[in-house]
Amino acid sequence: MSKKLVALLLSSVITAGLVGCGSSEGAQTNPSGNVGTTQTASSDTSGSEGGYTTDSITINIWDSNQQAGLQAIADDWSANSGVKVNIEVIDWDNYWTLLEAGASGGEMPDVFWMHSNTAQMYMENDILLDLTDYIAADASVNKDNFYEGVWNLYSSGDRQYALPKDHDTIALLYNKSVFDKYGVDYPTDDWTWDDMYEAAKAITEGSGGDVYGMAMNTSNNQDGWYNLVYDYGAQVITDDHKGTTIGSAEGKAGMEMVRKLLTVGAPQSVVAETGTDSLFMSGKAAMITQGSWMINAFYTAENHNDYAWAMLPYADTNSNGTCDAGERYSACNGLGWAANANVADPKACYDLISYFCSEEGQKKQAQLGVTMGGLKGVSEDFSGAFEGMDVSAFVRAEEEGDLFFRPYTRKTTVWEDALQQQGGFLDAWQNPEDSALMATACDNAQKIIDDAIAAE
Amino acid sequence: MTKKKMTPSQKRQAIWGWAFVLPSILGLIVLNYYPAINTVYQSLCKTGDFGKGNIFVGLNNYKTVLGSAEVWQSLWNTVKYAIVEVPLGIVIALLLAVLMQKKLAGKTLFRTLFFLPMVCAPAAVAMVWKWLYNQQFGLLNNVFHTNVAWISDPKIAWISVGIIGVWSIIGYNMVLFIGGLQEIPKDYYEAAQIDGASSIRQFFSITVPLLSPTTFFIVQTRIIGALTVFDLMFMVMDKTNLALNKTQSIVYLFYTYAFTNGNRGYGAAIVMVLVVFIMIVTFFLQKLEKKIVYYN
Repeated sequence: MSKKLVALLLSSVITAGLVGCGSSEGAQTNPSGNVGTTQTASSDTSGSEGGYTTDSITINIWDSNQQAGLQAIADDWSANSGVKVNIEVIDWDNYWTLLEAGASGGEMPDVFWMHSNTAQMYMENDILLDLTDYIAADASVNKDNFYEGVWNLYSSGDRQYALPKDHDTIALLYNKSVFDKYGVDYPTDDWTWDDMYEAAKAITEGSGGDVYGMAMNTSNNQDGWYNLVYDYGAQVITDDHKGTTIGSAEGKAGMEMVRKLLTVGAPQSVVAETGTDSLFMSGKAAMITQGSWMINAFYTAENHNDYAWAMLPYADTNSNGTCDAGERYSACNGLGWAANANVADPKACYDLISYFCSEEGQKKQAQLGVTMGGLKGVSEDFSGAFEGMDVSAFVRAEEEGDLFFRPYTRKTTVWEDALQQQGGFLDAWQNPEDSALMATACDNAQKIIDDAIAAE
Repeated sequence: MTKKKMTPSQKRQAIWGWAFVLPSILGLIVLNYYPAINTVYQSLCKTGDFGKGNIFVGLNNYKTVLGSAEVWQSLWNTVKYAIVEVPLGIVIALLLAVLMQKKLAGKTLFRTLFFLPMVCAPAAVAMVWKWLYNQQFGLLNNVFHTNVAWISDPKIAWISVGIIGVWSIIGYNMVLFIGGLQEIPKDYYEAAQIDGASSIRQFFSITVPLLSPTTFFIVQTRIIGALTVFDLMFMVMDKTNLALNKTQSIVYLFYTYAFTNGNRGYGAAIVMVLVVFIMIVTFFLQKLEKKIVYYN
């Protein structure tokens, strides 16, 4: 009997222990990547001309496309300050898992990107270094010079927790050689979503299904279907961040258009295994929608001469044949540079952030084609960064069209993930021929978001 | 029974004994028992952000977990995975181990090859298989000229994932079996040969029963291993994969709730369900051990 008991106990301990490692206290929840530099707060100040107590700063970001450019800017700062900067890239999903594990009692990076999805939660829990006083003492940082929307994403009460790193917009990317091959006219800025549908249909049918006219995945929200919802007059998250109108008639009209596009696009089973970007770059998809932060990936791709950008199509909701106010929306968002509240040398971290967001740093960021600025007035530098590729569609999206901020609540990922999966939009996405499924999915989405907000 | 007083030398020995096991005990307490107990506690709480501000809610999480179709589906997915991985992994490994006992040219090479998957990082293994299975560009579909959505079709995705598991575990099981086979005295086989038993008869009448302690050990550890599978599903399936709901294991579901969604209390409750489930399975396995395992 006792032997049995021991065996039972042992087996349960093994499993519970396995699980326990995952609990918030488990220090080993950081399997990889997040190796914060051991803050050897050595008192020796050799080489630190700014009087910094640390000699290196670790940065975590999630976009490997930006690593080289940001490292170049950081190196400029290191040359003056004598503090080394290491940038580590962790992919989007694991970035947040690791950051949260770090914030709950593990090792956090010193400086890192903040995103509107989670900023609220991090700010309210004092995880981020309060930059307010540093900003007040810093003559080179002036709130009025930044994009106000991005600035406000990272303020809570009258405190500021991050400086705007960039802002972004969305445009339509197409492959000219595919359009030529099937004799279809290139996208223009006057396109409606219906025009896009017709063109995609012509290509998919012309190729006999070998090449898809367009590709979109449920996970392409900010750079994909969100934009249609707003074009047709609904909101994924209402302005007060307390609800959604995705289940309204307008929301359903927007998603109905998405459904139509999907009937002539790549099936969900394909895009779930091979990302839309890969499909596009391998010539399997003629059109995708993408954000300005991804330009570099396409600019440096093998067949980049075939690629061109146009503004996102609009929804002619009043059927007057022209694009009126509120008919062409582009999602917009901006990242923030934030620092860990418990960092050993907050001044050094702030100075680095301040340099990234200074005119010099922002100009260089734009000129290197990393991203558009968080500081106003560097759009031209950015457009000029891609010689031979016209990326003005991104700038025109904000000048000629309307912008909406990427929808967020306190715990955005909860409903964002649920929307992508079965029970959300996945079934409708999988069977785009069935318009009733899409209408049901909109009702489900309404409930998913409402429930998630209620549980926050 | 009355407790006898210890002599001074016995006392000294006892003290030293404790001193020697103390590091292990400390390690176990800090790394295993404390997190385990904390998991139980968290499962009774509505946990706050970043592990702060937990509110005790009693059995609420359990009520939600037990009423959730998603949890039962994931538990069923996990069982299905175990049904693929455990028997196949054991039968194939046993056959290979028996072959490896024979006089064979390049035996060491084969042993190394079969054991290689064990040395590879599970994440890397999963990534390679993900591309083999890819519907558009994958090797499988290209070689066989098929167009099967190996990992996106809910009907077959669980088998595809199970096959990766079998492939990864064969080498490990095989090495254990080889160890077990070497324990069996050669006399039995010689006697059987003299009596005129065929090699198939020898296999079932000598090898299988005498190997049963090893087999039982592998069955038990692999069942527990398969029920806690996570990395395969996590690496192979994308979030927008249609087959995810029908394939994700219960630990994957726990990860989604506890880490991606930051709902630790609910995640802890999910995992407690798994612990209880594994305890029940182990209990029946122990019962079974008495009946079928042959110790000489």
